[in-house]
Amino acid sequence: MLSLPEGNPVKDAGLAMAKRIGACQQVEHQIVVDTNTIYTHPHLEEVRVDMAGFKVESRPVELVTSVGSCIGICLYDSIRKCGGLAHIMLPQSSLGLQEPLPGKYADTAVDALVKGIREITKSENRLSAKIAGGANMFASTLANGLDIGAKNIRATKEALERHRIRLISEDVGGSHGRRISFNLASGIIIVRLHNGEIRKL
Amino acid sequence: MINTQERIEVASSAVQEDSEIDLGILLELGSIGAGHAATSLSDILQETITISVPKIHTLQPHLLPGFYDLHDRPTTAIYLHLNEKYGMDILLTFEEMEARKIAAMMNMCGSVEELDPAMETSALQELGNILIGSFLTSISDFIGLTLLPSTPETVTDGFDAILDNFLIKQSIYSESALVFETRFMRNGTDAKCILIIFPTQELKNLLVEKSKSMMGI
Repeated sequence: MLSLPEGNPVKDAGLAMAKRIGACQQVEHQIVVDTNTIYTHPHLEEVRVDMAGFKVESRPVELVTSVGSCIGICLYDSIRKCGGLAHIMLPQSSLGLQEPLPGKYADTAVDALVKGIREITKSENRLSAKIAGGANMFASTLANGLDIGAKNIRATKEALERHRIRLISEDVGGSHGRRISFNLASGIIIVRLHNGEIRKL
Repeated sequence: MINTQERIEVASSAVQEDSEIDLGILLELGSIGAGHAATSLSDILQETITISVPKIHTLQPHLLPGFYDLHDRPTTAIYLHLNEKYGMDILLTFEEMEARKIAAMMNMCGSVEELDPAMETSALQELGNILIGSFLTSISDFIGLTLLPSTPETVTDGFDAILDNFLIKQSIYSESALVFETRFMRNGTDAKCILIIFPTQELKNLLVEKSKSMMGI
């Protein structure tokens, strides 16, 4: 829940929006807006993307994954409302073994998402990207020079640059996990942390 | 005389058979360790602790979150690894509330609300030391190798996010992870604790070799 303080310039606009979607209640002169209702569509089907996997959808669903050091990358065609999410584990496919898992590596995941979206939309519409993840939850892995989280962030950004895809927002780094919900109806991504904090991308 | 195709089939079945024997040996070693760990936990908590029949799985590291299917369940994990000579990562996970209850009992608090966060972390690290320490000591005693764990680290987050951090390292080095799994029961109910161990191939071979010589196989 997000509390709007008195005198906030966006209060009236927020109140009007909240009333319009029926997500508002007045509690002792304080306006409380249910962010779950505003940011996500409760009726949308949840489609989970597994570790090292990727999914592309044109239906109005919510693509969901949970990441720590891995990266959740979301590509979106806002005109066709088609998008995809990949759960990237490692920066480069050259690091991996002989497995046919394009979603696992930053370089191959972006290729696979772009190809998947283009196949569905049959158009060359401009795509936008949002990323979240790349944390490091265990200090000892940092001490051993294994900061895969930072390497994953860097490699994902490089892969996006190669495809000339604009990165419009990100929530990366830190030492906490993230649950990513990518709403394909709106293109909005909600990142939930274990402590209850909610971030909108 | 057998033709090439038959030779391949014979060879692969021999590998399979050896592999099953090796897995059986590793499972037995793990069971010895888990039994000792349960006894240590029982001593700390002054409660009856039992273990489920341990299982051993071999699967690709990235399939593990789907295998457990716990996703965003609030989880407290204790992570340790063995010294570099042998190489093994150990992850002990508890449902968050269960971990807090155990930490409260170790601190002799009446409830989890009375628990100080610093004391909670300290108690959980100690719990990891005791459980993993007794697990490793019993295996060390059996095969005559010294297995020294690192200082434990604790983290509380969603189950998949924790596993994600842990599995990245495994996925670089191995296509197939050997997972030893056991569950602890506190007073007959599931303590929601999972022990996951990733030994390196070298350590696996060493453990099997030493165990075979101990058993006279």
